[in-house]
Amino acid sequence: MVLSNYDITLVRLTYDQLELVRNWRNDPKISQYMEFRDYITPEMQIKWFNKVNNRNNYYFVIEYRGGKVGLINVRDIDYLKMEGEAGIFIYDDEWVNSTLSFQASLCMYDFCFEKLSLKRLTAHILKDNKRAIKFNKIIGFELAEDQEEVFNQLYILARHNYIKQRTEISQIFKNSNLWI
Amino acid sequence: MDINDFLKNFADQFDDTDPTLIRPETRFRDIDEWSSLNALAVLNMIGKKYKVIVTADELRNINTVEELYDFMISKQK
Repeated sequence: MVLSNYDITLVRLTYDQLELVRNWRNDPKISQYMEFRDYITPEMQIKWFNKVNNRNNYYFVIEYRGGKVGLINVRDIDYLKMEGEAGIFIYDDEWVNSTLSFQASLCMYDFCFEKLSLKRLTAHILKDNKRAIKFNKIIGFELAEDQEEVFNQLYILARHNYIKQRTEISQIFKNSNLWI
Repeated sequence: MDINDFLKNFADQFDDTDPTLIRPETRFRDIDEWSSLNALAVLNMIGKKYKVIVTADELRNINTVEELYDFMISKQK
């Protein structure tokens, strides 16, 4: 499965990309922001992928200008509640502070809200990950109730908030064929 | 609304930059922390707090915080 929009391509994770993603995920620059920080072995990675390679979890490798630059996902989708948990990391340092994470997220969240018809997405963000908090708030995530003192904080993105923010972000980039 | 409020709101978009370093004459692209993520955060803040859309294209031609403030005010009228 391939999603392509906002000048970015998302390719659903397959077995042949597992080692690439495992190496990214084991790098301290990524794992420092994850709740699970143990070293991931190839066996653990395959076991994990066998568990998540289904319609309740969508993991995509982010591709930009021919390179593989990061991973984006929605996992643990509950089709009764119509919600799932979102996550993203950009591995390539060249693009960490760019708008690429927005492009990938817009592409992914359009899929979640318009194709999967989810009502909301959740995200857990470590309280000291200021860049991720800033990023998620621009997309429309809001801190859930009673999370101020929690270290791994729960944020919620309601569908209507996403649509509103997507409109605003699109207006900012109106008449521009380049993302800043 | 005055430029001092705008300076504070502008500075709030940065995590590691001393707010006192943000002045009207500051060339924002010279701020160490400046990135396209901060640029989008600033433009999003302007849309939210001042109800004005400053586009990414328009921002390209603006260099200082005061120029951005003046441009935003001109779009409000």
